[in-house]
Amino acid sequence: MGNAYTHLTDEELLRFADGELSPRQIAGVNTHLTSCWDCRTRLRQLEDTIVDFVRVHHDTLDPQLPPVAGPRALLKARLTESAVSARQESWLPSFQRAFPLRKLAYLGALLLVAALVTAIVSLSSPTTGGRTVRAIPDPRLTPGATRPVNANDVCTVSYSDDARLLPASIQHRVLQEYGVAGAQTQGYELDYLISPQLGGTDDISNLWPEPDSATGWNADAKDALEGRLHQLVCQGKINLATAQRDLATDWISAYKQYFHTDRPIQPL
Amino acid sequence: MFDQLRAPLLRYALSIGLSSADGEEIIQEAFLSLFQHLRQGRARHNLRGWLFRVVHNLSLKRMSRNKRSGDVFGVAGSLAEFHLDSRPNPEEQASFSQRQARLLAVLRALPAQDQHCLRLRAEGLRYREIAEVLGMSLGSISASLARSLARLGRADGR
Repeated sequence: MGNAYTHLTDEELLRFADGELSPRQIAGVNTHLTSCWDCRTRLRQLEDTIVDFVRVHHDTLDPQLPPVAGPRALLKARLTESAVSARQESWLPSFQRAFPLRKLAYLGALLLVAALVTAIVSLSSPTTGGRTVRAIPDPRLTPGATRPVNANDVCTVSYSDDARLLPASIQHRVLQEYGVAGAQTQGYELDYLISPQLGGTDDISNLWPEPDSATGWNADAKDALEGRLHQLVCQGKINLATAQRDLATDWISAYKQYFHTDRPIQPL
Repeated sequence: MFDQLRAPLLRYALSIGLSSADGEEIIQEAFLSLFQHLRQGRARHNLRGWLFRVVHNLSLKRMSRNKRSGDVFGVAGSLAEFHLDSRPNPEEQASFSQRQARLLAVLRALPAQDQHCLRLRAEGLRYREIAEVLGMSLGSISASLARSLARLGRADGR
């Protein structure tokens, strides 16, 4: 390590600035810096270069980061999927011993009925001002609207999927169309039918007040689906038009298809 | 944890040359692997370093797969050029100051391993963590960082 007569090396200065020296070495560097204007100037220049580099690092990469909501919801769904399948794998052998094939057939029929009931219940939602607001929007009011983009566009540019950031005037018009007003708005989240990340627009024909459904068919589940669809589009496994159509026609059915489940996957 | 580390991890994957779609997928894979890792009762210390190591390995693997399949940079070609072409394009020149553009050109010309060291350090990793991610010695890390910063500093006229 440098002394009063030998200048510090670039590496010593950097390790000093980065807190990567031992207390004894730090004391040595401090002693040298006190007496050496050259090394103090070099240390300052090093810090300035670091500042410039960090700025370039963020300026070039941050605009490429897509919004976090979709990926977060998708990860939650995939983690739960993974946990459920791990649980099923460990339960299956003992379950099969306990329930022979015929009993399983009866059980399957019962579950099918239960799933149908759940599906029906999940689609019925609160009524506001004479109009029913559902987890799936009214196709006359919200048929969905898209921009002229292709898969490459949506996979390279990030868009905000948070409809709550839209101008208040647009939000108000959508709520008014659906007859949701005042205190009632608390039970809803304004959402895109076709998310901007998949080419949807800010037009009111692409927006609706999505109920915070206790059944789980809500904005979180839809975010997870959008995340998965975006991933599949960018992997070239489905085309963009298919993803848009799946969201616009019946996103709940699409969710069931893409997550291989009849119920929204609840976070663990 | 996902909210805290997703941006740093994704930035790092992008800096290696992946498209944001590929990067996003790799981050998902890394967190799913972390889930399995924890379920199996494995070590819980320095999970951040662990995640960076997984993302680093998966990103390099994805890059080489993309190269083999001819799709060098996946769907997002724009970021590919960003890493291949050492000259800043006109759009970048317009949006960056000249100093930043010079730094960017020098940065892109650095050996890949030196770039990885710098990027990981910029994401807040300590030397020991960087050494673990890249499989290098501590001494090599500080030498690499000092060498790269000296080159960046010279480009900057310092």
